Amino acid sequence: MSSFIERPRYLCPLGGAIMTVTALPGVVPIIHAPGGCAGNIIWAQNGGSGLQVGGYCGGLNIPSSNIQEREVVFGGGERLREEIRNTFDVVDGKLFFVLTGCVTEVIGDDVRAVVNEFQAEGAQILFAETAGFKGNSYRGYDLVLQSLFQNYAGRTVQKVRGKINLLGIVPFMDVFWRGNLDGLRGLLGKLGLQVNSYFSPEDDLAEIGKAAEAELNIIVSDVYGAEAAKTAEELYGTPYLSLPLPVGPAATDIFLRRVGEALALDSKLVERVLAEENRLYYHYLEPLTECYNDLDLQRYSIVVGDANYSVAVAKFLADDLGWLPEVVVCTDQLGGDQQALLTKRLSNLESGFKPQLVFETDTSEIITHLNRLRPRNQNQKYYNAFSPAFVVGSSLDRELAQSLGAPHLSVSFPVANRAVLDRGYTGYRGGLRLIEDLISAAIAGR
Amino acid sequence: MSYFDQKEPPKREDRLKACIAYGGSICGLATGSKRCLQDDGERGFTQGSICLLLPALAWMNSIPDSVVLLHGAIGCGSCAHSQNANVRSGSLQRLGKTRDALWLSTALDETDVISGGEGKLGAAIREADRRYRPAAIFVVASCVPGIIGDDVEGVVDRVQPQVSARIVPVHCEGFKTKIWATAYDAIYHGIGRVLLNEPEERLPVIPDEFGELQEKFRLSRTVNLMNVSSMGRGDELELARLLRSLGLDVNIYPVFAHPDEMYKVTQAAVSISTCPTHDDYFLKHLEEKYGVPYIIKHMPIGIENTSSWVRDVAAFFGFQELGEKLIATEERELREALEDFRPVFAGKKVFVNAGEFRALATAELLAELGFEIIGIRSFHHDEFAEEEYGKLAALGGDFAFNIANAQPFEEANLLKRVQPDVFLGHWCGNATAAKLGIATHVIYNTGLSYIGYQGAYELARRLYRQLKNPTFNKKLSRYASLPYTGQWYEADPFKYIKAAGSESK
Repeated sequence: MSSFIERPRYLCPLGGAIMTVTALPGVVPIIHAPGGCAGNIIWAQNGGSGLQVGGYCGGLNIPSSNIQEREVVFGGGERLREEIRNTFDVVDGKLFFVLTGCVTEVIGDDVRAVVNEFQAEGAQILFAETAGFKGNSYRGYDLVLQSLFQNYAGRTVQKVRGKINLLGIVPFMDVFWRGNLDGLRGLLGKLGLQVNSYFSPEDDLAEIGKAAEAELNIIVSDVYGAEAAKTAEELYGTPYLSLPLPVGPAATDIFLRRVGEALALDSKLVERVLAEENRLYYHYLEPLTECYNDLDLQRYSIVVGDANYSVAVAKFLADDLGWLPEVVVCTDQLGGDQQALLTKRLSNLESGFKPQLVFETDTSEIITHLNRLRPRNQNQKYYNAFSPAFVVGSSLDRELAQSLGAPHLSVSFPVANRAVLDRGYTGYRGGLRLIEDLISAAIAGR
Repeated sequence: MSYFDQKEPPKREDRLKACIAYGGSICGLATGSKRCLQDDGERGFTQGSICLLLPALAWMNSIPDSVVLLHGAIGCGSCAHSQNANVRSGSLQRLGKTRDALWLSTALDETDVISGGEGKLGAAIREADRRYRPAAIFVVASCVPGIIGDDVEGVVDRVQPQVSARIVPVHCEGFKTKIWATAYDAIYHGIGRVLLNEPEERLPVIPDEFGELQEKFRLSRTVNLMNVSSMGRGDELELARLLRSLGLDVNIYPVFAHPDEMYKVTQAAVSISTCPTHDDYFLKHLEEKYGVPYIIKHMPIGIENTSSWVRDVAAFFGFQELGEKLIATEERELREALEDFRPVFAGKKVFVNAGEFRALATAELLAELGFEIIGIRSFHHDEFAEEEYGKLAALGGDFAFNIANAQPFEEANLLKRVQPDVFLGHWCGNATAAKLGIATHVIYNTGLSYIGYQGAYELARRLYRQLKNPTFNKKLSRYASLPYTGQWYEADPFKYIKAAGSESK
């Protein structure tokens, strides 16, 4: 393992936790950390999250204890107490969430004790210990959701038929989180399900507070949200279903059928929804056919992304669009089991196409993987080149695209060069959006 | 003993008595009846801000043929995702090729926190040298190594003989100082200690005495134009244009300067700063050690300020007459060009928020353009700005003055009270005003022009554009809300400032 990570495509747990908490409805984070942590994270959002900064109390509005050397020496508990008390006066929140950083955890501040004092007074306040050395931003997402399950989800054991929690899409780290959640809520709604997805405009704290009632936790990720789902299973016996982020018809068909099976839904209903959605997808796709052929728009491709996007986009390209995503790079730091799971996801694609999945955190090393898997032309007269090619990745992969002379689309964090509002890639409609974006990039000079 | 003999520079709270908490009025500050120099009890409620790592990375990532190795937890340095845009465009504009910033993280984990990160750091330096073959590696210490006690210099000393890159240690432990401008001292400190040695002289095969004389003369007319990344290329070119009009050659330094060329800063006739918040630490060192004098006084934002800046440079070289001629021509042309905008600006109320010097100088420019200043917020305060407060107080009216390292809750309260027509805020600092429906414009962005006569015109042009159609903010304000309680807007905006300097206490 390398002794460093080059240009990490994720933040620290505190970063992920801030992104998660600021995306919850009416929830206010209170950071117990030095003053720079918030700004660093906000700047990262500014540069990586498709021009989305903020949330209900995001940006530089986030209350923060801004501890200094004196707290490092004498402890920061008193400063945190003061900050919380004054936050209640200044900031209008329905729920407050204390998040710790590296410094306050190393010096051993007893945040639980401080938070308990305020809870005893009746305050709506939770905490999560999100020090930077505990992992990356995806861990922060899980830590916040775990805290919600443990302390806010209600102690009910009564499951409500048709209620599910949707996990696995990390706000701001998934730049298309809002559109992706909307897309999945729409589809699950068509199956008659009542969805708590935490971060959409339809979600509210009342339902988040009843998350224990769900009969299933659906995680649209093989990695993110898995720990939170395990917590819910331990506490409330809620089973979970873990599936890749469904982008386009092939993955979404599987997704909806698996959800239907897990919840014992009427299979005729599920098949009816599938048939209608596929009909609509091809209704909109059909007029592209002439130009798709005339302009020869099939592409070899490299897909570079996090654990969700690398697999999801590669499957879509291979199984729906009919492209050749020969090299797929997952840039997350993953354990052996997680790597095996993702590899398995791409090993039996419907199209029979076999992408090569590699795990590489460092942007500048990606080209060496490509050269290894697809050796360059050694002056052969006839050479089956990796061309025409397309790079689907993050904005850090533009140099790779340039070196290949290939067009490029940013979909995975960081996305510095696109403004994203409610665009999403999940479901059938999401597949159409992705085709629009890919083809538009490929023909930009037309 | 020089500061530069120490491993780390002093923090600015100690060196300059810098502080970050004051609430009152410009006249209170200018007359000295209320002070915040030190006595910085700060605030009982605070919002997140930035630390010195952020300005430090903006600068270090610009240096070509180098890598930045962050020694800390994985999130430290994430801000580079935003700053990368400036590295890309800045590299293209100055060096002819777009390139991405290259930063690395030792990504300290729980084991490292317990057993120390020195081993990992040493291995990371060697690996970075092998993989990227850079001319320099900036080794940046963030909070965690500062607390667990990693000896960064010790590691650097051990590893340096094994690698070809020059290793520059830079201390950016965010908890150690609340004055993020300490970042400038931190990097200058590293550069001063490691990168200023001249390369060994090579004797020419054919001696060229005339060439040597020419070079000597050129250097006697060469100035260091200091830029720590607060100026974009457009601003650099504007100041270079003015300096060349005085017959001077310009060495822009240190952003985008190659590590192997950094020593050239020691050869110039004089160093010229554009902002006392940035360069005093290094310029004093250049004078003490290399005999290069410096000019650090005016920020060339605003018509008068730019002219004063030019005047000081001209006086240094004894070119007063030439300087006055240049100033007269430039001012005349600019004032004529600004006439078109004046009717739109006349009497419009403006509020600004930025780093201390930038906020004050920009306010002076806005007054020159015909705006009425009704409030200024600056990120910190130190002794360099005393004179500027006098200038602003002399404009006539008194107005709100707030020293705050961001803290938008105070801003929201103030803006509701004073209701400006237009607000100029820093990066990630315009949303509060925008959501209140006030026309806004960014006061710092390296893609835009602010400096010199040209910058004055360009800023006026952009404000004219914003005022022509502020619909985005107006409509946004109908639906967007700020996260503050009703009672907060009723309270004294400086209620939480503990410093005795606060007028509200």
